[in-house]
Amino acid sequence: MSSYAKSILFALLTAVLCSLLLTAGAAGLKQRQLENIEVDKKRNVLRAVGLIDNQSQITKQRIQQLYKQRIRSLWVSPEGQIMDAAVAPAKSVPIYLYVKDQQVAAYILPINTKGLWGKIFGYLAIERDGSTVAGFTVYKHSETPGLGGEIEKDWFQKNFEGKKILDRIGNLVSVSIAKGYLPDSFPQDKLPNYVDGISGATLTGKFLTSGLKQVLLEYEPVSIQFRSQQTIQIEEP
Amino acid sequence: MKLTKTRHFTAFSVPLLQENPISKQMLGICSALAVTVQLKTAIVMGLSLTFVLSFSNLTISLLRHVIPRNIRMIVELSVIASLVIIADEVLRAFFYDISKQLSVFVGLIITNCIVMGRAETYALGNPPGMSFLDGLGNGAGYGSVLISVAFIRELLGSGKLLGYQVIPNLAYEWGYENMGFMLLAPAAFIIIGLLVWLQNTLTSAR
Repeated sequence: MSSYAKSILFALLTAVLCSLLLTAGAAGLKQRQLENIEVDKKRNVLRAVGLIDNQSQITKQRIQQLYKQRIRSLWVSPEGQIMDAAVAPAKSVPIYLYVKDQQVAAYILPINTKGLWGKIFGYLAIERDGSTVAGFTVYKHSETPGLGGEIEKDWFQKNFEGKKILDRIGNLVSVSIAKGYLPDSFPQDKLPNYVDGISGATLTGKFLTSGLKQVLLEYEPVSIQFRSQQTIQIEEP
Repeated sequence: MKLTKTRHFTAFSVPLLQENPISKQMLGICSALAVTVQLKTAIVMGLSLTFVLSFSNLTISLLRHVIPRNIRMIVELSVIASLVIIADEVLRAFFYDISKQLSVFVGLIITNCIVMGRAETYALGNPPGMSFLDGLGNGAGYGSVLISVAFIRELLGSGKLLGYQVIPNLAYEWGYENMGFMLLAPAAFIIIGLLVWLQNTLTSAR
């Protein structure tokens, strides 16, 4: 056999063997990985409303339990009605409610938006008043570690707490990410609508800013209901 | 014959200290800077690299007589890449939090110069058992430097070890403060530099 043919044959064999090995590994571990991803999402929902923090060691079981007790996963119709998945009309979007003492304490919007290098997935929690941000988390992204990747860090996410999605006269302006740190000279009346940016990651900030605004616009009908202080009925499970 | 004089033992022990991949050969520095903020990630990274390195050495050594010379690099790389992906999948299944923290760095083991270097210079010319030990030794050498650096950085930078507070609150009340600088990449450079100095002094004194 010529040496060319031998090389090609060997390369083919290696490729087939390696891919078999990888397929077996990936297929065998898939179940566990999916479960981990599911728990991680729930952990981030809980973090968005401040039920747990990033530091404490917390077991999977505890997360599942807390989620089951405190979070209600529902749908919002285009008119802003919150309803069960079974009766939700087409074009409904998912929403999570944080239930405390049988009342809705906050509502959580899933974020699924464009970043610089890929999609950014996370949660934005808004308090019952329909205008104050309770928390913001990111659970999956493809931004550069150390630059845009800082969006997954506590210091960045903590800045969102207590910010307003409305300006002083009540228009929806969302929360914007500044370019770098907010300067001391930043106008006081705009402060509630801005958070510190990440230096070296201006574009990630821009994408996330427009993504958040888009999400908030989409959920504006339900936010209006919260703002008008209508009691939102939650049936006991 | 004493254990420490056997061929197999030296295959393992020489890369551990005298020929340490990081502090002597200056390989794999980039990941050493990135994953040493906390002890936990450093340990997992050290273990992952040791796994990849020893099994890639073993596989390549087993195949060393049949790999065609002209495509040997490609074959080495596919073996290494497969092992890295397996390590990454296992981490994602069993240590999800740590795998998120390590993010791209596990995947980047593929490009870690130590792995390719050992395959080329050692595994292609030595029997499987020795190559496996060489892989273990180099992995342990890499891991031990990572762990020493992470130990210093986590202790001084956040006052913790493995996530547990070790500096008592009393010290903070008396005015002790964490060194924020230790959490940044330049701190790892300085610590690695000091380790290299220490290593050179120790080996030249012998």
